[in-house]
Amino acid sequence: MSAAVTPAPPGSGGALLEASGVSIRFGGLKALTDFNLSVRQGDLLGLIGPNGAGKSTAFNVLTGVYQPTEGEVRVAGQRVNGWVPHQINHLGLARTFQNIRLFRALTALDNVKVACRAQGALHPVVMGPLAKAGTAMRNYRDWWRALLLTPGFQAEERELTRQAERLLEVMGLSHRRDEEAKNLPYGEQRRLEIARALGTRPKVLLLDEPAAGMNTREKADLMVLIRRLRDEFSLGVLVIEHDMKLVMGICERITVLDHGETIARGAPAEVRSDRKVIEAYLGDSYLESHGGAA
Amino acid sequence: MAVPGATTLSDETAGRVPPALRGILPVLIAVPVVVLADVLLNTSPFATYLLSVVGVNIILAVSLNIVNGMTGQFSIGHAGFMAVGAYIAGVTSLELKEVALSFLPVAASDQVLFTVALLAGGVAAALCGFLVGLPSLRLRGDYLAIVTLGFGEIIRVVVQNTEAFGRALGLSGIPQYSSVAMVYFWVFLVVLVARRIAGSSHGRSLWAIREDEVAAEAMGVDTTGYKVRAFVISSFFAGIAGGLFAHFVPIINPGSFTFVKSMEIVVMVVLGGLGSSTGAIVAAIFLTLLPEGLRSLFGALGAGGSLAQKVDQIRMPVYGILLVVLMLARPQGLFGTKELWDVLPRWLPRKKKGMS
Repeated sequence: MSAAVTPAPPGSGGALLEASGVSIRFGGLKALTDFNLSVRQGDLLGLIGPNGAGKSTAFNVLTGVYQPTEGEVRVAGQRVNGWVPHQINHLGLARTFQNIRLFRALTALDNVKVACRAQGALHPVVMGPLAKAGTAMRNYRDWWRALLLTPGFQAEERELTRQAERLLEVMGLSHRRDEEAKNLPYGEQRRLEIARALGTRPKVLLLDEPAAGMNTREKADLMVLIRRLRDEFSLGVLVIEHDMKLVMGICERITVLDHGETIARGAPAEVRSDRKVIEAYLGDSYLESHGGAA
Repeated sequence: MAVPGATTLSDETAGRVPPALRGILPVLIAVPVVVLADVLLNTSPFATYLLSVVGVNIILAVSLNIVNGMTGQFSIGHAGFMAVGAYIAGVTSLELKEVALSFLPVAASDQVLFTVALLAGGVAAALCGFLVGLPSLRLRGDYLAIVTLGFGEIIRVVVQNTEAFGRALGLSGIPQYSSVAMVYFWVFLVVLVARRIAGSSHGRSLWAIREDEVAAEAMGVDTTGYKVRAFVISSFFAGIAGGLFAHFVPIINPGSFTFVKSMEIVVMVVLGGLGSSTGAIVAAIFLTLLPEGLRSLFGALGAGGSLAQKVDQIRMPVYGILLVVLMLARPQGLFGTKELWDVLPRWLPRKKKGMS
């Protein structure tokens, strides 16, 4: 978990997360059509659109919850079609959830430790049957180490605790270390979810409506925080958000979805004045009465 | 980013009890006491029998708790795995009856063979657990319940129709190798394993799966792998419990491993609190002794031999009422996910809040 001292310039290096021509159909319903996206280290991208536009579907395809009907998703250069979420996560893709999904009965610290642990060096994802068998053996051996409380195991536990404590500190949650997640106030639960996602040592962080339910002040703090995390952990960040001010304020590029189709992409200023976007958000009648793009 | 010195581990190394003993200390104390009690009660074969049954039920409840409690899956076929263990261990012992390890005294040789038979039963049950768990644990929800229910019935029917297992008549003549000491040695082992898992990173992953499977998967937890492993461990100990059982009852037949037995174990786990090992132990003791208590109670009340004999028949309704009352009054079970020492009165030394 080495944080870069100087942030890499935005958009440098190859794409860490790339979706090309991704479509997904549920029966006759086209939830997403020809979706393209590329996230590189240092990027801060926004994904917006009216309700039901397919934003969360896009997230679910990227993270492996749904499989694309067409097109392909690449994480760190690796094609991940057909992979399950935890394997994709091991390649460096972590997410938060729109409606907070913490491990409610676990302490804040344990929430983060779960994520840290899952990233042990024991999970080479790309492997043949032999390597797979080897991993299975190691997994069982790992349980023996826990049962016998070997020194190596205890050292590992201490290391996990240390990592998790550090992440709690970064997110300003140190004082909640031993509090059960369900007892945390709403804003702190959102922050804990981000801390947990960071525990998996991601290269790309997907935030699903991180500002939902926050007040103006909390939103402003969140904007600063997201930027800081990107720089400190050298991440690429993709944000789904309803709040225009937040998106326009921090995102360098924005993709706009409507009915599963990408209707616009570009810098905030371009997107804001795009006719299709205004139409999607405010309706035709608004355009007619106001005479063209705002 | 410098890590401040303040974050160097506080509660994990501190504390009066060394980590190697933590969580199993009560059992370490309890097991010799039970064995001692057995020695003192040596004159009463019934006491020995009862202690053994309690022990076997503890093993069953604590092992089922690993799946139903910690991992949040719902298995209702534990008696099936117990049956596999009982029959495999029983047949192994019958086969090895005439064998003696010449370099050991007879008693020691018997115990070695007994252990071999037990392990054979446990491994067979674990293998069944793997085969049953692998397809059904890939899915979420109630599939495991359905599959384990089916598995339990299949095992019973297979045994009923297999000559080598004595069909419906059952297996008799299995050497009575078991002793209270042996049973409680395995009680100790299962509690050790359950507590060590609960306190380790593996346990945290299991808790995470119980809390939110989707989130656990998204955080990189191999949910299927963890569920299968938990299920295999749980099945192994069910097999051991069956093996022990087979070596102290005069006869094992398919009637001992019915769905009713599975439900009995589930009731123990739910009553004790899903996720609490000590809760499972307390509930197992209570529910095993309850019929005996009722029997003596009715006997003492002079309600006549008839009612006292009916205890076994009214046992299930009593369980049912007990569960309904529990669900209304305390849906999380007696202890919830806490352990005995977490719910003890204040004046007793307490553990720090946290998972282990």
